[in-house]
Amino acid sequence: MEKTLAKKSFPQWVKALDSWTVYVPRKDDEGRWDFVRADGQETALDISQTTLPPKKILFPQREVFLEFRKTQAGNLETTEIKEVLPEVHPTVVIGARPCEARAAWLLDKVFGGEFQDIYYWKRREPTTLVGLACTPPPSDNCFCPSVEGSPHSEEGLDVLLTDLGDRYYVKSMTAKGEALISAAPKLFSEPSAEDQKRVKAAHAESEKQIKRQVKDARGISEKLKGMFDSPFWDEEAMSCLRCGICTYLCPSCHCFDINDEIETSSPLRGQRVRTWDTCQFPDFTMHSSGHNPRPDKASRLRQRLLHKFQYFVQVYGQIMCVGCGRCITLCPVGIDIIKVLDKVRQDGD
Amino acid sequence: METSVYTPQLAKIIQTKDEVVGPRAIKTFRTQFVNGGRLDFRCGQCAMLSVFGKGESMISISSSPLVKDYLQFSILRTGRVTAALHDMEAGDTIGIRGPYGNGFPIEEWRGKNLVFIGGGIGLAPLWSVVQTALLRKREFGALSLIYGARTSKDIVFKDELEELKDKMPVHLSIDVAEPDWKDFVGFVPTNVLDKKPSPTNTIAITCGPPIMIKFVIKNLKDLKFEDEQIYTTVENKMKCGIGKCGRCNIGFHYVCKDGPVYSWAELKKLPQEY
Repeated sequence: MEKTLAKKSFPQWVKALDSWTVYVPRKDDEGRWDFVRADGQETALDISQTTLPPKKILFPQREVFLEFRKTQAGNLETTEIKEVLPEVHPTVVIGARPCEARAAWLLDKVFGGEFQDIYYWKRREPTTLVGLACTPPPSDNCFCPSVEGSPHSEEGLDVLLTDLGDRYYVKSMTAKGEALISAAPKLFSEPSAEDQKRVKAAHAESEKQIKRQVKDARGISEKLKGMFDSPFWDEEAMSCLRCGICTYLCPSCHCFDINDEIETSSPLRGQRVRTWDTCQFPDFTMHSSGHNPRPDKASRLRQRLLHKFQYFVQVYGQIMCVGCGRCITLCPVGIDIIKVLDKVRQDGD
Repeated sequence: METSVYTPQLAKIIQTKDEVVGPRAIKTFRTQFVNGGRLDFRCGQCAMLSVFGKGESMISISSSPLVKDYLQFSILRTGRVTAALHDMEAGDTIGIRGPYGNGFPIEEWRGKNLVFIGGGIGLAPLWSVVQTALLRKREFGALSLIYGARTSKDIVFKDELEELKDKMPVHLSIDVAEPDWKDFVGFVPTNVLDKKPSPTNTIAITCGPPIMIKFVIKNLKDLKFEDEQIYTTVENKMKCGIGKCGRCNIGFHYVCKDGPVYSWAELKKLPQEY
């Protein structure tokens, strides 16, 4: 289904989605963009790249898996556990970037398969992703076309909006997307042939505006197979502060930890929680014996690169990087995944 | 009802036994599910044990899948969860989820001789196969065990090993001589070279500390075992057990899901990240 929506009608559309929990990007007092609950203040999608991708809506930074408690009756001690499953209201994320939706499409592979992760799917299934085509790209470090995405990719999206100046071109790819249009059908118009022409032109132009590039990502993927033991990684990781920001802010990174948090120890009561974790921390892989298979920064940088560009390709056939550039923009010491990959492509040592 | 793959089943500890006491304590636990259920598993598979309030730990199942009335785990006291387990006794409640991992391909081993080579706590995962092979003795060729520990006090399953001597050759070793020790003195790989198991129609299954495994494999190769005749297990830190949390991988393999059992032919192709 293809429609147009006048920008001045955008706030009304958001208001009409009152059967959904709606998230939109918003700038906070310190100038950082983040996905927040819509509150009727939305005017239009004049947005920049958010610091945190909308991954947090599908896969929150902290979530409770179960509650446990012990009760004592005389000498009889009983342990009880209660599974806590998320109950998620139908949700819409408006203004997700095509790369972020593509990341969700990659996360679907991780949390699906033989062992379905019900916590993820309880959020994913009722969520509709409304993307905004990147005209222009939201970051100087965008490189999505190099990793099989595009600034107007539809992978993982239900609806794609394209900014045409005074209105949005609205393309719905799924029934979930069409439901959003049906919520306020009068706000939408049929697109003219001229609109369709302008959308095509805007999409073509958006690709040209991407400033950065990784040449031959699939070739690099093959080349990495021979680089596990290369001294290359030592030099590349030298400046790493092991802060983990490259992974926490990555739309496709999904590594997590599971821990028990205690509210009271006597009688025992607490929760088992899942939290985001990162391969950049030494504890991530440290055995209780003290042995660590990834003991240094080099082996951990190597893991981040190989997981995204080699292992994920071997297991799922896709590159686990969507080219948003956050890990480049926000790395405090300037480690640049594009430059690292380019060195791999050129000589690999 | 929908149930999360991360939610364990409650189980009661029905019996405990101190195998080794002191700084490298090992304790064996037998457990039964509170709801009376059973776990269908293969030799060499693992289960995620919960001590509520402490967390979870991946432990190999040391009983045979043919034993239906309990699950057995032998556990070295080493971290937060295993220390908490060691403080537990019969009657206490834990959580169990699983089974996880590939397990040993024992159906492919029918008709072959099996030589088990273990070190320290590494006998635990082998024990499931040893017991199963004994219960299905007619299906396998000759069975034998080469097992060692640092000192005589560090040997696990002491009583069971004595009984086992009636059923198969058992070659024990300790690292350093002790006054009353009559068996082999030296490291397990050296004992392998000393006992010279024949590679003819034989599968060697080895489990123990990484350094031991490395030299056992080297020595088995010297004894003309092919890579495909040697099986071992790998361990890495695990949280989810189902190939999602991202930490136990060696190359593109998640040890929790794609391992922990590998033939040397498979394992030598993967990076040394364990």
